[in-house]
Amino acid sequence: MQRDVGSLPLAPALRARLVAAGFQTAQEVLETGPCGLSKEIGISKEEALEALQVVRQECHSDATRTAGAPGTSRKCTALELLEQEQAQGFIITFCSALDNVLGGGVQLTKITEICGAPGVGKTQLCMQLAVDVQIPECFGGLAGEAVFIDTEGSFMVDRVVDIAAACVQHCQLIAEAHQEEDHLKALETFSLESILSHIYYFRCRDYTELLAEVYLLPDFLSEHSKVRLVVIDGIAFPFRHDFEDLSLRTRLLNGLAQQLIIIANDHKAAVVLTNQMTTRIGQSQSTLVPALGESWGHAATVRLIFHWDNNQRLATLYKSPSQKESTIPYHITPHGFRDVQPPAVTQNPEGTEMNPRKRLRREEEK
Amino acid sequence: MAAKKLRRARLSQELCERLSRHQITTCQDFLCLSLLDLMKVTGQSYGNVQKLLCKVSLACAPKMQTAYEMKVRRAVNPSSAFLSTSLHGLDKVLHGGVPCGSLTEITSPPGCGKTQFCIMMSVLATLPISMGGLNGAVIYIDTESAFSAERLVEIAGNRFPAYFDSDEKLFSMTCSVYLYRELTCGSVLKRIKSLEEEIISKKVKLIIIDSVASVVRKEFDTKLQGNLTERSNFLARGASLLKYLAEEFSIPVILTNQITTRLSNGPAIQADLVSPADDLSLSEVLDSSLQSHPLVRLPKNRLESSRILLEICLAGASGGRKRESGCVTAALGNTWSHSVNTRLILQYHDLPTRQIRVAKSPVAPFSTFFYTIEKSGFVLQETDSE
Repeated sequence: MQRDVGSLPLAPALRARLVAAGFQTAQEVLETGPCGLSKEIGISKEEALEALQVVRQECHSDATRTAGAPGTSRKCTALELLEQEQAQGFIITFCSALDNVLGGGVQLTKITEICGAPGVGKTQLCMQLAVDVQIPECFGGLAGEAVFIDTEGSFMVDRVVDIAAACVQHCQLIAEAHQEEDHLKALETFSLESILSHIYYFRCRDYTELLAEVYLLPDFLSEHSKVRLVVIDGIAFPFRHDFEDLSLRTRLLNGLAQQLIIIANDHKAAVVLTNQMTTRIGQSQSTLVPALGESWGHAATVRLIFHWDNNQRLATLYKSPSQKESTIPYHITPHGFRDVQPPAVTQNPEGTEMNPRKRLRREEEK
Repeated sequence: MAAKKLRRARLSQELCERLSRHQITTCQDFLCLSLLDLMKVTGQSYGNVQKLLCKVSLACAPKMQTAYEMKVRRAVNPSSAFLSTSLHGLDKVLHGGVPCGSLTEITSPPGCGKTQFCIMMSVLATLPISMGGLNGAVIYIDTESAFSAERLVEIAGNRFPAYFDSDEKLFSMTCSVYLYRELTCGSVLKRIKSLEEEIISKKVKLIIIDSVASVVRKEFDTKLQGNLTERSNFLARGASLLKYLAEEFSIPVILTNQITTRLSNGPAIQADLVSPADDLSLSEVLDSSLQSHPLVRLPKNRLESSRILLEICLAGASGGRKRESGCVTAALGNTWSHSVNTRLILQYHDLPTRQIRVAKSPVAPFSTFFYTIEKSGFVLQETDSE
């Protein structure tokens, strides 16, 4: 209640008048009432009422925040976080080596960035994830939906059809091996059409459309509450040309990163971004580094770099708060993103390609 | 969409006037400001500014479509998703041919057949849909003055003798190929900008630019200060314009590029290779009888081509992973490689056979096919494919 008038989210002109009239704290404003306020400052009664409502709402949310009410507060203990993190799912990538390196798969509520040279498989992985997030829970998936924001125009529906068909086939094999009721029931709804209908595709042609779309994303996610994955394929492309003012670019990118973090946390979704590589010309040599500059490197929580080594594609976990840095090979097959050596015997009741953590819990339940 | 005036975003008149006093007239300017700046400039409270942001965002955000709708749309019009190259093996690997709605790049050393490929594709695009064409006009932007109308007629007559059986059919085909000769970067960009109206009026179904690299490398010398960024800007702007045209009208765009050698010491050069398929020196190339073979189409600068071929030989001969003497890659740098969606590389093999390689494609794995250049254009060798 002792909040300073200058910090209230009112229109600047109104704030200036309040300060000029001598009001210092929000408490004073609330005590005056709308008629008194309108007379003192010289605004209409309706405007005064509106201003009072804003101030009251601000003070109310301040009060609940300090009182520690569970609804609005964002603080919790590490134990609660641990329980949350263990209960929450991962989005598997169908490449078990990559899943192991990531600690189970792409994590929800975190931003994962994939950097790589052109043609190395970033868009392939994004399409694979957009299909994998929809796998029903009994098969180890999240039964979620996906938002795909494309800035480069590299999304190919035919390829997604191939990947989705392979995924459905894989689940059918597992269901045949296990012969459980919920598996068969889930398979009824998990079909090619349903997978494709739950990938929401936006084509942004420049950074203005991208900014606009990210502003509108929270509303979209509230309407479609089952979305668990937001992919932005090519966050670098619209920002890499036509920008004379680099400080504006940094500011816009930081704002974008902030909004994405809020979206990831509030809606329990994973955000996956793909970045390009650029050549940095050094003293005597040139190296490939992720584009968009050094400060952008701080935006993502987990960073994967895809690169080549003589005909073999490699993925390196470059930045992660909980996993060790390591490099694994991967393969892109007509069925999508896969390991280099196919795991032995897919009929194995262990379910080799499923999330190992999920597997542990299921055994405990049994 | 970015340049959309705020008036059309349904903001109130007085608000627009107030904003224009601060030089904020388009949606782009509005969205680039932070929330505090917006509050200052509009004089509104925090909650109202957020509502305004939503309104403006709604005006410029793209429309949502599900992947299923996209698939259905493509299924309804299967022929409009690809332009068949009439090379059977290549079409199968590319799931139909050169994809519509994205950029395809053809790269090769000089004399391998880029312009021949472009001329052949021009003929194919004018064919009716029943024969695998797009039944439309072709815009051919030529920067090297390498286009030959006689060759166009020759390929058409020899490749589809049953269809082009009369002179008037040949002439009507040539009438639908519009040739523009542009010799500077600026004029190329201006031409690309003017294409939108031409595509609608002339019912264009294919855009070819032969070649992007020659005009860019003439004007920008990357050793000079600042030229590298200017070149990247020009290429990026060109690429985004072409992508917009390709997607808006669902037509294929074919661009040609050159190769360059990067001579330098040390393994740092590894970083510049975007993919093993792009490193042309990995495959075996040279034949010393190259220069004397009659079927080699001598480029304008014979000396230049033999120098490059010699360097490829050296690079290949030094062998293995360490490339001390240099390596051969597609020109125009990394940023350009990100912008094109499909990349096909043509190379010499044992003459007269050459090989065509799919180096970057969202639907196809790396594959190689062998071909020769005949009177009827490209002919694939069926025996040696893959």
